[in-house]
Amino acid sequence: MDVDGIRRDLGIVAPWERRRDGLWIEAPGLDVRAMARLLCEAQARWVTMTVSPAPGGFRLIYHWDTDGTLLSIATAIDEPSVESLIDIVPAADWVEREMRDYYAIEFTGRTDTPALMLRPDDRPGLFSRTADSVRDFDPADLTDRAERDADRAGSAGRAAPADDSVRASGDHAEGVR
Amino acid sequence: MTARIPIGPYHPALEEPYKIEVVSDGERVVGADIEVGFNFRAIEWLAERKNYTADLALVERVCGICSNVHTLTFSRALENLAGIEVPERAQFIRVVVAEAERLHSHLLWAGIACEVIGFQTLFMTCFDLRERVMDVLEAISGNRVNYAMNCPGGVNRDIVDPGAVLRMVNEIEAITSKQLIPVLTHDRTVRARCAGVGVLTREDALALGALGPTARASGLPQDIRKAAPYEVYDRLSFDVPVLESGDVLARIVVRALEIVESCHIIEQAIQGMPAGPFLGGQFPAIPAGEACARIEGPRGEVFYYVASDGSDVPTRVRIRTPTFANMPTVVPMVLGQTLSDVPLIQASIDPCYSCTDR
Repeated sequence: MDVDGIRRDLGIVAPWERRRDGLWIEAPGLDVRAMARLLCEAQARWVTMTVSPAPGGFRLIYHWDTDGTLLSIATAIDEPSVESLIDIVPAADWVEREMRDYYAIEFTGRTDTPALMLRPDDRPGLFSRTADSVRDFDPADLTDRAERDADRAGSAGRAAPADDSVRASGDHAEGVR
Repeated sequence: MTARIPIGPYHPALEEPYKIEVVSDGERVVGADIEVGFNFRAIEWLAERKNYTADLALVERVCGICSNVHTLTFSRALENLAGIEVPERAQFIRVVVAEAERLHSHLLWAGIACEVIGFQTLFMTCFDLRERVMDVLEAISGNRVNYAMNCPGGVNRDIVDPGAVLRMVNEIEAITSKQLIPVLTHDRTVRARCAGVGVLTREDALALGALGPTARASGLPQDIRKAAPYEVYDRLSFDVPVLESGDVLARIVVRALEIVESCHIIEQAIQGMPAGPFLGGQFPAIPAGEACARIEGPRGEVFYYVASDGSDVPTRVRIRTPTFANMPTVVPMVLGQTLSDVPLIQASIDPCYSCTDR
């Protein structure tokens, strides 16, 4: 594959950097859908995507394989929103759902981004939320959960647990999930 | 008239939880939806709060079957990040243990597949063979499940009785070639249950990102050991079995052939293993930076990404397991099939929900 041609077509100024684990490139303002189209046309194989919290937003790294060489294309986003790739790369579906679970990233262009690791009524952004809660515990999490429990219990015709110890026990589980 | 049939998340025969909701029209499957996450442990999040030494023990517990591949991939990511070279003997030992792990994983799966088919005697043969691999792994590492063999820069234990390893692979290779493969490929019961069932086309496998034996049974010649050789795989001679039919039978046969190839690899690695050090010394300091690593596990490519700020705790650990990629392929496999074949089809990707849920 002509990786330099791909770089030029995507308008990336920085050159590829060869490391022990493959080729890396920093691509600020990356057109992720153009990247996906070009790499799919070039018969590259989707590996996965890594999302990391970064100052002022998130760092996204798209990992592809071409003839055994790992391509890692990194970009940054200020807001937790990026275009979905699933219509171009169906294999990205579960990864996008997972990243929504962990970091509340919104993948635009999807009709729906159901929870994958979390349950349907869990709030997305578990890793961001739990990272914050370790530093600064927010009782609103417990309130939200209690309200949902009450709604569910009400709709099921049962009384919501009123005892705080019961609620705390349930929320211990949410701290992990 | 269609009916929605939820299967799982708790199964009478399957120890791990997952759910497939099947839409059926009579006996025919016309839709399916998969739910995972019932065993979610947030291991990536946990790994970002423990030091590297503790993380080695943590990632070994991503999976109870292919535990070794996780410490190996994590160690290789750290070696890539820190520029660490691994002693040659340690690279051979890593190959032996990784292939022994593939042997016991494939034999475990073959046994389970035989049980699902209803072939109890072959199930017993597979588990008997697997036990011999487990004995050798226990003799090498002191453990039957989590071997604790890998560390950045080397391995923790030497192989002190290579003769026992050779005897084990010779026995497994002989029984697999003379009994297991002929039965799996020619027995009427196996063919009736598996041939033409649960087909994953090459196009679907490619689009959905199938990996490992699941991909190779659908005509995709993917194997990181060949495409991007690590350790000493580039010095060893072995074939990567690839079949085109994409059905359950193809997935069975690919794994059976891979058992024989793993035996060949272990034989060569034991015979070619040089003398010398196998330990990497003290746990290395991990500098600031980021790196990836990929290993061909029993179920396919395992991917790790590690980012470091120079402290002893990683700032980000990303783990992509092969079953995570393979699970969505079950949906096209079951469409148009009969309900009674759904358990066999979902088992045919050799799913690991513990890996998937992490």
